[in-house]
Amino acid sequence: MAKHVLLVAAAVAFFGSMPAFAQHTSTGNPPSPDSASSQSPAAAPKPSENVTGATASFAPKAKPGEWPRQARDYANTRYSPLDQITTTNVNRLRIAWTFSNGIPYGQEGAPLVIGDTMYLVTPFPDIAYALDLSKPGAPVKWTFNPAPSNIAAGKACCDPIIRGWVYADGKLIYNLLDDHTVAVDAKTGKEVWRIKMGNAENGETMTMSPFVVGDKVFVGNSGGELGKIGWMAALDVKTGKELWRAYSTGSDKLDKIGTDFKPYYKWMQGKDLGVKSWPPDMWKHGAGAAWGWISYDPQLNLIYYGTSNPSPRVPVQRPGYNLWTSSIFARDPDTGMAKWAYQFTPHDQWDYDGVNENVLIDLPIDGKTRHVLVHFDRNGYAYTIDRATGEVLVAAPFAHQTWTTGFDMKTGMPKVNPKEQPKPDQPLNVCPTDIGGKDWEPAAFSPKTGLLYVGILNVCMNVTDKVKTYIPGTPYDGMDMKRHPGPGKNWGAFIAWNPATGKAVWKIPEKFMVFSGALTTAGDVVFYGTVDGWFRAVDARSGKVLWSQKLSSGIIGDPIAYLGPDHREYVAVLAGVGGAAMVEKSQNGFPARGSTLYVFSIDGISPGSGAKLLTTSAGAPATPTPSAHEGRR
Amino acid sequence: MSNNYLFARRALPLAFLTLLACGGFSFAQTTGLPPLGLPPEGETANVPIGGLAGGAQSDLGSTIKNPAGTEGAHRGRMLYVKLNCADCHGYDGKGGMGPDLTDKKWIFGGTPAEIFKSIFQGRPEGMPSWGKALPKKDIWQLVAYIQSLGGSYPPQAEQASRQGDKPGELVAPELDFEQALDGSPPYPAHPFPNPSASQSNSGQKKQ
Repeated sequence: MAKHVLLVAAAVAFFGSMPAFAQHTSTGNPPSPDSASSQSPAAAPKPSENVTGATASFAPKAKPGEWPRQARDYANTRYSPLDQITTTNVNRLRIAWTFSNGIPYGQEGAPLVIGDTMYLVTPFPDIAYALDLSKPGAPVKWTFNPAPSNIAAGKACCDPIIRGWVYADGKLIYNLLDDHTVAVDAKTGKEVWRIKMGNAENGETMTMSPFVVGDKVFVGNSGGELGKIGWMAALDVKTGKELWRAYSTGSDKLDKIGTDFKPYYKWMQGKDLGVKSWPPDMWKHGAGAAWGWISYDPQLNLIYYGTSNPSPRVPVQRPGYNLWTSSIFARDPDTGMAKWAYQFTPHDQWDYDGVNENVLIDLPIDGKTRHVLVHFDRNGYAYTIDRATGEVLVAAPFAHQTWTTGFDMKTGMPKVNPKEQPKPDQPLNVCPTDIGGKDWEPAAFSPKTGLLYVGILNVCMNVTDKVKTYIPGTPYDGMDMKRHPGPGKNWGAFIAWNPATGKAVWKIPEKFMVFSGALTTAGDVVFYGTVDGWFRAVDARSGKVLWSQKLSSGIIGDPIAYLGPDHREYVAVLAGVGGAAMVEKSQNGFPARGSTLYVFSIDGISPGSGAKLLTTSAGAPATPTPSAHEGRR
Repeated sequence: MSNNYLFARRALPLAFLTLLACGGFSFAQTTGLPPLGLPPEGETANVPIGGLAGGAQSDLGSTIKNPAGTEGAHRGRMLYVKLNCADCHGYDGKGGMGPDLTDKKWIFGGTPAEIFKSIFQGRPEGMPSWGKALPKKDIWQLVAYIQSLGGSYPPQAEQASRQGDKPGELVAPELDFEQALDGSPPYPAHPFPNPSASQSNSGQKKQ
């Protein structure tokens, strides 16, 4: 671990005095022996200090009380400017109201709030709800049932889930598991358009949340476990018509790579590398699915997104770097043409998809403000990358990992540990496991502290590779695997991260994985949830847990903050364990599935509860009459 | 749409031929087992889909024994891994993308013939149809492997499989009485009848 720290020596030298390591153990677990706890404690940041000096743009400037897209802004900060809930009063947070959608699959993603309405979409069968926040109890305003194909439910690798949707142009746009993108009128709940993007029968599904810039909506596929070639597409927000599609493997033409494409590192420069970095024809089922998050820089006019693991997951079948899998693309949203790319895990041998979110911030490094993206990869490294060029400025492990012996800043390549390369039929222990040092659960950034906050995983795998054959509609996988917790035996943790130094500032070890998104607020309170169902509020500066509540199921959704029509700040999160978090299901204390949205406020106050609410629609107090019991049983 | 459908239907056998050509394994290779005495053509067609209740009850064909026997399980395991079954149902059979095959819980029936049909025909929500891609004897070998995991039901226990009965469980005496009210045959004393007894899984007298 010390080696990696040295690699970012320059950044450390500059910011060496900044980070503080205040370890807070909320579970009574022994401290994990990895990076955070091995550092000597320093003073906690001062109450008003921006530790790194980092800022973000927050374009396109949503109304403070609204949450119109999954990460709230283009930069993917997940920062709410609301400050009614503070470090002082957050311990009075109570449940204000709840809503169950009744679907027993993983409840991922975030609800949206626009005006007086909250919009939710469920896991398969992808039913949409609008809830009227202006009325007591937030009743259902409309329901939309898109009736996706049942085949899709069995082709999703990791539970038939969805990671939410996006609001734009008076419409809610989302991806059905059976590869259709639909737009629904936000006022009426009626379908505006629908487009078929793929074929579920052959193992392709869609789970990611679309992302809108201007008149274009961007959607990508899932199916990296089933050998489906990955792609990102732009659709017309008004009509749903496809405008371009860029693949993740294959020729430069397919990958929308032209003369404007300038990867920073030499080993990624050349013609048709999406074909040449594979054995003949293997790119055709080489995956690189674009199932994660998208961010956008309006100044550079570039979108950023990652690509999944290569298929099959058995590396011996595909010698080569396997471009552009486990990579990030920066593309022109108008043409789809790639501007640069960077492969996080060359020749990925462990299923370390590169799909995790890219948080766009402006960060002082070596006395110069750099326009960077921060990316916590599945491979256990956190990257701070110049988002104009693709140059890696900081690369440091944030989770326990054994697959590298370090990182070469000159080439931008990890130094792969030769002992940790799987060979067919030979058992091997590697950290992190396939779902990574962190999976898709998104980080949040606070412009007040200049830090990122992220739920991480501490899981390793005993893996035995089995050589595979591509059969359409079946997994192209081949990893016979048993997962177990890493050092310290805690399956997860929540950390604050300094993207300039590449070090954790504080760390909260958790017995169960932290598989929820993070939420930062102007009240300096950070929120996250655990797979065993604890929803927590933390002091953004010290990492002290200020408030916790156990919910009805594990939390793998992404919390949001919004302003109700009563001008009160609410915090909302979905509870319902599922998705890849099910890898921990054999642990004692693992919760049952669930499907409930929880909405919190100070003292649980909302227009939806209280004595005065016991009224009928006529406004009179409700009194049961005999006729009320005469209905058919 | 229809073109896509046809393509998808054709893709599976094609992929399979490719697989043969690649030498992943070969059907021609001897398994060291005597040739299987497959059930007469059409007999498995009469096996009802599992999970049907009431008036749809049928004994047709459900008592078919696995012609692959227990010896077929070894090659069945090889097929289970090679054909990517393991990547859905788990290398330990305990489920993943696809259902657990070891937990005695069967949506479409857990007797050998019912499992055979689920593999042969495929099932909604993701289970591919293997009937065109695989010789019947291979499917029976896959069934033998699944039987070896301990989560299936013996051939005569089709009704037990359907009703979620477990070996060794108690049977409430009122069941006979209540079934008589419906005019249905008495409930078997043992949900798991002795395979050497009558082929029918109903009509047994309570002791």
